[in-house]
Amino acid sequence: MATRGRSARSAALAQSVQRSKPTPYPSKVRSALVRRAVLVGLVLVSLTLLTISFRSPTSGALHDIQGVGSSVLRPFQIAASRVAQPFRDAYDYFDGLAKAKSENAKLRQEVQSLRSQQLISLEKAQQEEQLAKLLRYHDGPTFPKGYRAVTARVISASANPFARSLVITAGSSAGIRRDSPVVSGDGLVGIVSNVFPTTAVVTLLSDSQTVVPAVDLQTNARGTVHPSSAGQLILDYVSKQLPVNVGDELVTLGTIDPRYPDLYPHGIAIGRVTYAHATDTSSFLQVELQPFANLSSLQAVSVLLATKKHHK
Amino acid sequence: MSSWDGVKIAVLLFVAAVAQVSIFAQIDVFGAAPDLLLVTLVGISLLRGSAAGAVGGFFAGLIVDTATLQALGLTSLVLTLAGFWIGRYGETTGRDRAHAPYLSIAVVTVLFQVGLLVVHFVLGESAPGGAVFASLVPAVILNLIVTGPVYWLVRRLLRPLERTELSAEVQLLG
Repeated sequence: MATRGRSARSAALAQSVQRSKPTPYPSKVRSALVRRAVLVGLVLVSLTLLTISFRSPTSGALHDIQGVGSSVLRPFQIAASRVAQPFRDAYDYFDGLAKAKSENAKLRQEVQSLRSQQLISLEKAQQEEQLAKLLRYHDGPTFPKGYRAVTARVISASANPFARSLVITAGSSAGIRRDSPVVSGDGLVGIVSNVFPTTAVVTLLSDSQTVVPAVDLQTNARGTVHPSSAGQLILDYVSKQLPVNVGDELVTLGTIDPRYPDLYPHGIAIGRVTYAHATDTSSFLQVELQPFANLSSLQAVSVLLATKKHHK
Repeated sequence: MSSWDGVKIAVLLFVAAVAQVSIFAQIDVFGAAPDLLLVTLVGISLLRGSAAGAVGGFFAGLIVDTATLQALGLTSLVLTLAGFWIGRYGETTGRDRAHAPYLSIAVVTVLFQVGLLVVHFVLGESAPGGAVFASLVPAVILNLIVTGPVYWLVRRLLRPLERTELSAEVQLLG
């Protein structure tokens, strides 16, 4: 049985079996062909249209057809635009709001920047004005003889009950010495009280330590200018017999006798008399004055340095 | 595909093309605009196969070229290929998959833009490669955003076909 069975199987295996052809799916094959044909056809048509369009972009039948087609489509496009217009307006509105916010922030920054630029410009203008005044003073007839000026910028100022002073950008390296008088274009500012290589401290006329011998240009009355305990500049030690009037101009007295040199040269404008009164209880006239130099807003000053030893 | 389907596809593509050239083309988000027509075409191609996609892409392209008065056949060529390719993806691996429209849109947006760039370049027209590549990511994102609602609408209008109704050279098992 076994032999017979094996031989039968062997015979069956030895037989040449004709494999049937795979059954095609006619509809699928056809559809694949159609699909490809459609694709190739449409691509070819597209390429043809493209070629014709490029060959005659401004004339020809295709151009005319395209024009007609465009005209036909125009109403639909207009209708679509009209439908979309409210949405577009709403978008523009919110977009405008969003942009306005960022624009507002940007403009604020710009305003801040412009404001600081304006401040810088104003400061420069003020400084320029003061420098121009200083220049006029240097070249003017009232500039003291035997002196030269070193002009410096004011870098800081302190005004407290203990000291009224400035720090300027010139020091010993520029030839500045202690006790040198300091002026602005308007008049006397103070005196150098401390010197460093590149900076110097100027004690202002309004400081309680400052005492300046002065003379009334109009009446020749002499006294010393210093701040009162209340901080007001006064002309002190003026005899009641001497006339001093409101509006009189005071200048530095300067050196009268070379044996007794003064720190200040003669003729530097100090201020104008604003109050003058004699009382029975006081031995001297009570004279108040307003300094010519605006001591609270100085940008640049000149330090006067003696060019020759005229003090002794 | 029934003739009623054909009418619906024609209307869908016509509306999408007109809306695209009249409304959506004017939107500018980081140099890109959502492409309603491309998204609609992808939906149709996925649901109705490559032949419908190719024919729909061709005629939609003609409408765009006519409305914008640019060289006739330019957009048709690219949309025909896009429609066919997405249709084949739908007929084979892509059908029944939820991510198919999104994946198709992401890929076809890039290919469509690059295809247009290549065609413009070959034709010797202005082909600003830098601007096109810079706007690719925003374009993909915008198209993905509109894909959800557009595909939902297209699917509502065109009932998904049974597997046997779709032509396929690759039969999926199971």
